[in-house]
Amino acid sequence: MNKNIFSKISDKWREITTPNFDNPELRKKKDFSRFIVYIIPAAFLCIFLFYPLFTTLIRAFMSASKGKYDFSTLGFAGFTKLFKSGMFIKSLRNSFVVSISVTFLTILIGVPMGYFVARVDIPGKKMIKSLGLLPIIMPAFIGAFSWIILLGNQGSLRLLLSKIGIGVPSIYGISGIIFVMTMVYYPFVFLLAEGAFGSANAQLEDSAMLMGASRGRILRTITLPLIVPSIGAAALLVFIRSIGNFGIPSILGKDQYVLPTLIYFKINGFWDLNGASSIALVNVSITAIVLYLQKKIISRHDYETVSAARTEIKQSDNKVVKIIATVFCWLVLIISLLPQITIIVMSFFTEWTGPLPTGFTFGNYSMIHSNSSREFFNSIYLSVVATILAAVLGSLIAYVTGRIKPKGGAILDMAIMAPFILPGTVVSVALISSFGTLIGGTYTIIIISFIIRRTPYVYRSVSASLTQMNPSLEEASTIAGGNWFYTFKKVTVPIILPGIISGSLLTFTTLLQELSTTILLYSAKTRTVPVQIYGAVVDGALGQASALSVILLIIVFILVYVSNNSNKANISAGLKLS
Amino acid sequence: MSLNLTYNNVNKYFNKGTASEVHALKEVSFTIKPGELFCLLGPSGCGKTTLLRSTAGLESISDGKILYGDTDMTTIPPYRRNIGMVFQSFALYPHMNIFENVAYGLRVRKISENIVKKKVTDVMELVGLTEELKRNPSPMGLSGGQQQRVAIARALVYDPDILLLDEPLANLDAKLRRYMRAEIRRIQKATNITTIFVTHDQEEAMAIGDRLAVLQLGAVKQIGSADELYSHPESAFVSNFIGKMNFFKVDRKNKNTVKLNKTNIEFAINPEKDHSEGAETLLLGARPEQITISSKKSDKSIQGKVGIIQHLGQFVRYEVKVDSTFSDNNLEIDMPFMVKDALEGDTVFIDLKEDLVSLYADGEISNE
Repeated sequence: MNKNIFSKISDKWREITTPNFDNPELRKKKDFSRFIVYIIPAAFLCIFLFYPLFTTLIRAFMSASKGKYDFSTLGFAGFTKLFKSGMFIKSLRNSFVVSISVTFLTILIGVPMGYFVARVDIPGKKMIKSLGLLPIIMPAFIGAFSWIILLGNQGSLRLLLSKIGIGVPSIYGISGIIFVMTMVYYPFVFLLAEGAFGSANAQLEDSAMLMGASRGRILRTITLPLIVPSIGAAALLVFIRSIGNFGIPSILGKDQYVLPTLIYFKINGFWDLNGASSIALVNVSITAIVLYLQKKIISRHDYETVSAARTEIKQSDNKVVKIIATVFCWLVLIISLLPQITIIVMSFFTEWTGPLPTGFTFGNYSMIHSNSSREFFNSIYLSVVATILAAVLGSLIAYVTGRIKPKGGAILDMAIMAPFILPGTVVSVALISSFGTLIGGTYTIIIISFIIRRTPYVYRSVSASLTQMNPSLEEASTIAGGNWFYTFKKVTVPIILPGIISGSLLTFTTLLQELSTTILLYSAKTRTVPVQIYGAVVDGALGQASALSVILLIIVFILVYVSNNSNKANISAGLKLS
Repeated sequence: MSLNLTYNNVNKYFNKGTASEVHALKEVSFTIKPGELFCLLGPSGCGKTTLLRSTAGLESISDGKILYGDTDMTTIPPYRRNIGMVFQSFALYPHMNIFENVAYGLRVRKISENIVKKKVTDVMELVGLTEELKRNPSPMGLSGGQQQRVAIARALVYDPDILLLDEPLANLDAKLRRYMRAEIRRIQKATNITTIFVTHDQEEAMAIGDRLAVLQLGAVKQIGSADELYSHPESAFVSNFIGKMNFFKVDRKNKNTVKLNKTNIEFAINPEKDHSEGAETLLLGARPEQITISSKKSDKSIQGKVGIIQHLGQFVRYEVKVDSTFSDNNLEIDMPFMVKDALEGDTVFIDLKEDLVSLYADGEISNE
């Protein structure tokens, strides 16, 4: 009986999906299957993105205490209070100081480094590029606590340096936050600048040289102006990341707050959802304004370089330049990778407060099985489920906006990319305010937050594959008799699969280390590894934190290695904003 | 069994009702006969590709009908039209080997495996890729000409009613292009499938097509064989698009006579070659071989100055500048031999072969 129903359904399905060239009735039937793909992403975005953001927006204007959802308190009272609060003003100033300084410093380091690697004949270029990727794929807060080991009040490196007469300020405070963030985020600028310098049209520079321009003049008038858009994109990425970063300022800030840590403080300390929403709105507004300014400035400098044949770019082999370039690149790399080395060492010791670590032990690792099994299960379970769902969602939306091109496709594009600029804590606040009573403390709320945060990665990656794919490939299938579904299955998906995979891998690796969202959403049951590491750092159990971090690093490293080897270009596509 | 393909008052608008509205096809009506190799020819933006894509169903037409036999194809989705198409980019699937690329349309039709094998083998033999099929590589490893053949095989393998070729030679180099156009004609004649071939290259269209349609700004200007279009162009546009035509400004004197602008030089016009259709401003058209150069003045000659001279083997091409009251552009004149006392920079006198020249209404002339 059941079998009959199934075979009937599958017959019907076959009838719908296979073209019939003889039946004149069927020939005229319309193909509706592609419209189904609109509904899934639209529904998801409405329920889990628009609605929570809307709730947060409303809450931002409520001044009821204890985070009550009370329409009678709507108004600007909350904001007036906020802008009179010394703590908020200080956090706002700190956020500005940190993100602007980090943006400038990363450009100062990343652009020359990109130029050196692309244009100067220095040894170990491939190695520099691979190692340069490490700081951004590693969890930022791990960098923060290992810098405590090195440059904290009792930091080993600090003690060593003071012995030879160099006084280094403690890593705690705003300057420490700026330093650590710069070391974590400079690779964005470096990698994008390197790409831009490396792929520039050499003929443009050759022609300037033939017209008599000196090297310096070419750099100033041709090379640099042409890579302004790339630098601008990288700077924006750094700004958004640093203004939304929670881990580094929460570990190094002590009594200095920035906006994301203040949001955490408001919720964790007072359950003040309305106050947190107001701060979140301020935080997002700043990002939005910067994004707008960047687009405006960059659009004036965006050039299509027209060239048919690409020629190899000549590399400088001037001895002095070579030495400067090599020293500069390796110095930056070593400093930015010190944290990784530090935590590996630290994970085998109980304490490291003097120049050398003391108390060699394997205990930090042997403890993991009994203390962290649930956390590892949670991290992997949450990341896997969220990655799969984000992959499906991101690919579908990329397909809809890139191929079907519906009216309002630009809105869909903006909606899906919005979480890219939303700080993790803001996403959490939005979800708690909307669904906190329903699914607070469950796996579901974390999975939803993960999907919202990371779908842009898959979306960008798949969009990039789709733009590279000539639409006539799909048209050829249609002409040959394949309907929409057949074409999608046999042609579109196989060709964009590398894009889906690399976007998913990037999503998965970042989710494994996600802290800023989870920190507000976890419960005892759903605690993840990064949350446990954070807790251990706060408790001063640096050995345990290091061992957990090392395991996390190894997993992340393997995944990135695999995806990098399978498809290098697309990882960066997923990271790009536009 | 093949049927007529008929276009019936086909209109196509892009962005209809907006400021950027484009009337891409204007009242296109003609019929392509079964088994014909038909060329759509015109400068870029003339609507030839739009017409082809509308035939395939990849674009929907705004108005009118496309009929195959008596069946209205207009509402049938492209994947049920049973059409084969070769794209300008070839559109071969990089994730399939060449066998699977060619077999694609058969797989869609759920043909059994042994028939698929036989059909693919046969069609690859037809396009001359038997050896490559044995190695069966990815299409990306093939040369441009081989990729082209795979694309043709893929479009032919499921015996489509109509074969569409969208500038299929544009991505090949000049020598290969000449060879492949002969190949395409051979394959088309062997299969006898009604074929539409889109190109902007008039030499290619004349070489390959049984009949040609010349399009300009979305409208069909003239349809005929290559010989008809060259010998009897009905408009100034077609005359200068199919081959080269020199134009002179003239005024009508009476029914069969025109006068060169602001002079008393008269030319008698053969009524069969009068395509002016009562227009006010007229152009007298003469092909390069319908003009002669001489260093001596005659009573109907026009004075000019020789620009550059090119020796092209079977003839010598002179570029001659005449006063702009007579012609806006430099004249192109082909002589079977070098003319004495007519070197670059010399003043010469040109004469028209009066019985061969044609009369046109002034209109937009292609300078391609």
